[in-house]
Amino acid sequence: MMGALVTGLQGAIRIGRMSFLDALRNRLLYGVLVFVVLLLLAGLAVATVTMGRTELLLLDLGLGAISIIANLMAIVTAVQSLQTEHAERTLYVLLTRLPSRGWYILGKFLGLGAVLGGLVVLMVLILALMVGMFGQVHWLSVAQALLATLFEIWIVLAFSLIFANASSLFLAILLSFCMDVAGRFTTTIHQFSAQAESGLLRWLGDAVYYLLPNLEAVNLRNGAGDIASFGAERVWSVVLYGSIEVALLLTVSSWIFSRRNLS
Amino acid sequence: MNGILTIEGLSLSVPTGHVIQGRRLVLDDVCFSVARGSATAYLGPNGAGKTSTFRILCGLSRADAGSVRFAGEVVCDARVRGGLPAHRFGFMPEQPYFYRNLTPRELLTGLGRLSGMSGRQLGAAIEDWAGRLDFEAVLGQPLRACSKGQVQRVGLAQALLHEPEFVLLDEPLSGLDPLGRERVRQVLHEVHAGGATLLFSSHILSDAEAMCDAVVVLDAGRVVHQGEIAGMLGKSERWAIVVEGDAGGLPAVQRVELGHGRYRLLVDGEAERDRLLNALRTSFGCRLLSVEQDRQTLEQAFISLLQDGRAS
Repeated sequence: MMGALVTGLQGAIRIGRMSFLDALRNRLLYGVLVFVVLLLLAGLAVATVTMGRTELLLLDLGLGAISIIANLMAIVTAVQSLQTEHAERTLYVLLTRLPSRGWYILGKFLGLGAVLGGLVVLMVLILALMVGMFGQVHWLSVAQALLATLFEIWIVLAFSLIFANASSLFLAILLSFCMDVAGRFTTTIHQFSAQAESGLLRWLGDAVYYLLPNLEAVNLRNGAGDIASFGAERVWSVVLYGSIEVALLLTVSSWIFSRRNLS
Repeated sequence: MNGILTIEGLSLSVPTGHVIQGRRLVLDDVCFSVARGSATAYLGPNGAGKTSTFRILCGLSRADAGSVRFAGEVVCDARVRGGLPAHRFGFMPEQPYFYRNLTPRELLTGLGRLSGMSGRQLGAAIEDWAGRLDFEAVLGQPLRACSKGQVQRVGLAQALLHEPEFVLLDEPLSGLDPLGRERVRQVLHEVHAGGATLLFSSHILSDAEAMCDAVVVLDAGRVVHQGEIAGMLGKSERWAIVVEGDAGGLPAVQRVELGHGRYRLLVDGEAERDRLLNALRTSFGCRLLSVEQDRQTLEQAFISLLQDGRAS
């Protein structure tokens, strides 16, 4: 039992390493990075025409842009990576070497999560340097925003892996994108449905609230824009919620993938 | 027979259609056995179910019915999609492609470690297989820069790297140039001579004939023949004699002009062959070039088998 667990974990780490190296050398990611830098420069231009607190506007715009682009990158990278490995039969030689398919999903998550995480850290550092040209950088609030953004993209990556497993390339990207958008409004949907007269609508609102990942629960970007750093309790709640959500989504993904007949 | 792999009553159906799902039977009560230490060709026309069988053996698909035994133990059936034990077999899928941005060395290191290899042993094995399969020149360049044939050879190396006792190869020779095919044939001969059991599918039947001692033929999801290759080819009584010169008066069942004054004469049985050779000795206008038994090739036997089976 313990031996199988260790073997599986080692397998996941090895698949993660190969996925990491492959994704890291993917030119598409560098294209996105250049795009982000251009976007930040555009934000800089907008920020310079504002009256006062230029650095806060730049930080607010920049963190928002990084979040959106990192989310899109997570969706496209997860779906494309999994579907390509299936189409090109790389998946077959990997799965025949693993004790169960769940380790493959974990490995993919670790590899892609590390690459995306690294890119987000890099983008936030570039942003912080740009902000530093206009005023003081409040590193604690920036670090908190960064941590929350990392959990956000890991959640998006985890549910994109579910759709990548279960549907075609286009549909998987579309569904992941819809989930990403809906995940930002779960609280709003819940509040709306709570006011409905129909019991069914209220029930549906509750279902959406509890089933969909709540991406606003891992959002600390507004604080950075307001120079406010959050207390340890709020930060820990982000870490806890993010970790549990990722674990749940990976479990669902592994369960779906394990039941599939690969053709 | 000491069977390392025994397949009994294997059936598999796949969904068809998009909205209204039907099912198509891909494997229908497939039964065969692979002897330990043998090299078995798994043949069949396109869509016969060869790759589907391999997927079940690898634990990628679950059979609807039947079972697979490996070294006496049931490894998969209709309830369990287990597959062959990971460290005891090597698998090469048809036309594999791997992480494009990794080098063959990085890929083989990763896959070797997944197979339980480590350190110096793994490094030496990678160098060894790269040399034997002639891709050492590209060991350090990304796979996206490698040719199809080089990727094919890397694919074969990953299947053989951990020296498995059972090797499953899906079209290992497709996409290779004649030199590459010869190299791979040689390597597979060595692996087989080293004691490994080979089961592979191929549409290049001359290669299968040269490399295998047993054959399983599948058509429309059913096994239509299994046994030794020699048994499938049958014992031919026909002899082919090639002569140069005026062959008009020589006794033969069939006379084929080869050009440049050469003829291929066919006779049935050793008595007729000797009669023709005697006639040649007394014939001044004709020179004997070669005498050989006119054996049926595996390709001819395969086509006859399928045509006869479908006709009946």
